[in-house]
Amino acid sequence: MNNTKLIVSHAPFWHDGDSLFQLNLNYLIALLPAALFGILQFGATALGVLTLSVAFAMLWETIMNLVSRQDMTIGNLESAVIGLLFGMMLPATAPWWIVVIGTFVCVVIGKYIFGGTGGNPFHPTLVGMAILMMSWPVYFDFDAAYVSYEFDFTALAPLAAVKFQGAGAAELFPVGGLLAGQEVGAIGAVFGLGLIIGGVYLILRGYTRWEIVVSFLAGIIITGGLFSLTNPDAYPSPLFHLFSGYTLLGAFFLATENSSSPVNRIPMLIYGFLGGFMIILMRNIGAYADGTVLAILLINLVNPLIDNIRPKALGKGVTNA
Amino acid sequence: MIKRSFFALSKPKLTYDLLGSDQKAPEAIPVPGSLTLLLPETIDSTKQALITQGDAVKKGEKLKLYEDGTDYVLSPVAGTIRGFDSYSDDFGNTATYILIKPDPSKTGEEDTVGLEPEEDLDFANANLRHLPGALPFATLADENTSINTVIIAGADTDVLSDTCQFVCTAYADEMVEGTRILKRMTQVSRIFLTLPEKLQTQANFGSVQILKTDETYPSTLPAMIMKDHLGTELPAGKTPEDMGVCFIRAEALVSLARVFKTKAPVFEKVVTLIDKGGNKQRLTATLGTPLSKIFARFNVHINDSDRIIIGGPMRGFATYTPHHPVVPDMDMIIVQDRDTVTELSNTPCVNCGECIRICPANIPVNLLVRFLEADEYEEAADKYDLQSCIECGLCAFVCKARIPLYQYIRLGKHELLALRADA
Repeated sequence: MNNTKLIVSHAPFWHDGDSLFQLNLNYLIALLPAALFGILQFGATALGVLTLSVAFAMLWETIMNLVSRQDMTIGNLESAVIGLLFGMMLPATAPWWIVVIGTFVCVVIGKYIFGGTGGNPFHPTLVGMAILMMSWPVYFDFDAAYVSYEFDFTALAPLAAVKFQGAGAAELFPVGGLLAGQEVGAIGAVFGLGLIIGGVYLILRGYTRWEIVVSFLAGIIITGGLFSLTNPDAYPSPLFHLFSGYTLLGAFFLATENSSSPVNRIPMLIYGFLGGFMIILMRNIGAYADGTVLAILLINLVNPLIDNIRPKALGKGVTNA
Repeated sequence: MIKRSFFALSKPKLTYDLLGSDQKAPEAIPVPGSLTLLLPETIDSTKQALITQGDAVKKGEKLKLYEDGTDYVLSPVAGTIRGFDSYSDDFGNTATYILIKPDPSKTGEEDTVGLEPEEDLDFANANLRHLPGALPFATLADENTSINTVIIAGADTDVLSDTCQFVCTAYADEMVEGTRILKRMTQVSRIFLTLPEKLQTQANFGSVQILKTDETYPSTLPAMIMKDHLGTELPAGKTPEDMGVCFIRAEALVSLARVFKTKAPVFEKVVTLIDKGGNKQRLTATLGTPLSKIFARFNVHINDSDRIIIGGPMRGFATYTPHHPVVPDMDMIIVQDRDTVTELSNTPCVNCGECIRICPANIPVNLLVRFLEADEYEEAADKYDLQSCIECGLCAFVCKARIPLYQYIRLGKHELLALRADA
């Protein structure tokens, strides 16, 4: 009676065409302006770090796929994004073995042992960064990293300068210069304008959630502003915090990672604000020059808890049921 | 297929199709050389069957498999029974195909079973349950459910379809007459008709009260109509019928009016066909006409790995055979080419939150799916609102990981009922 083999599957039979590949591809595109500027500013070594980082992140994932006998998942580009972000957070002079070990920690410990795609409770890149920063802090000293370079601007890492010389050092770094990338720092974190363009692109495309970004930035400005108002001599202005260090990278690309951030509106606002708040606390009171990595790991940690604040589902708690 | 827009700050919006102004009459498909009737009853070889292969049937004759059978079909033609086949749907519910060979020479009065219609629910339940449009007489006649509101679907429940809009505007007089008959039968006083608010129509719906529905999917699904127009939220795990609201196709009332007018059952079903190129055809076919005959008439070629969808693109089901018959509740047939079939994946949820933002019932789909994947159905219902789902399919439409979310939810509900029945 029946010779034609039809596809039998379930509703809905339409799909809006979006995919994880598209999501991660757009992340890569959005990261490009800042990454390209980093290569221009710091030269071929920066290119080397970025490419090695992306390549090894994908290689580690492939190896884990083979070892655990699972389907190949590098096609969705998630580890490419993790690798690129990791490379962008390193100084251009980072030795090759830092990149190799770092991407191993990111992909294998940060992502794969939690179950791979979608399973990570923390941003994998930040797990790698946190572990490496504590293990080999000397390679993350941006002032030491670029001693052999010559720049036509103040060759000091802004946050470290403020930490050790006081708030007055912030005057060495005008906001316009920070936006245009006139600072030393990680390859992909110095070009503020590029990060903002990429981040806004992702928001407009609907791949990151504006609530997190806006509340994150608000957290920095409000908390930083309060500190600055109470004692302008000890604490630099919130705008300095906003455009220095990993802040913009964190706000647009790290805090918004899908798997480790909330999805409901009120939790997203709390989550983002908490991130900005913690960064300022760490910078102004804590021991670290740039608290972005640890602050975002911390809000990743509270994400499952606050994401329980959600609207009532249809027909739940109806009294006349 | 509607794709994601380049800029996607707001959530994607699916809109219902609106009936065009120049409506030509549906094309009638002649009665084919073989009909397949779908009887919701399982073949049981231990029982003595009432009908067997080779039996002659009259037009309008009630066919029942067994003496204690719960359901029946009416034969749309006079002819002979050619055989039986078993059918099972996507949840494993079984039914029986009864194959009938029509005999065009038998058109006399002795080959037709007459009907003296009574305005009585028990009579209707016993004779009119499978009219085109599938009037739910089984529910209406059920003593355990008390229906106090009837909502006639003039607005189609799925996107692309305009069958309901066409029927209720083109046959408005008969529909209003059918409404009167139904009112006398059921004593239900609250009867509403849903119509798309942007629909331009000259049709006169008499005294039937009209609910204007929004153009955005899923505003015409039962739970949304109840929430937006009746002001009652459908409690989780309840059906509209539990709450005394019954949803009826406009076509069912048209059929009802025709039965009372002609004093004989009717079998012509209005169907919209959408071919691979997205062209829309409206046709009428006798209940039991195999879909392959309709495809042959409109030159739709079915190849391997194509998909035949019965119902809409969001809520329909895919059939495994092009010989599936036209049944009373079939409003639309869509044929999708193999190249346009979206592949699903087994990627886990990445928590992007698209489903959360689009869900009209505020269900935490991202958490729910984790429990459904692990077969934790009770937990899913208690904490993650499994039963609040109104089954619109939007979550799976936007899912970046391409998880078959809607199917997980339907399966979850099905398994939950089975679990609770066993407990």
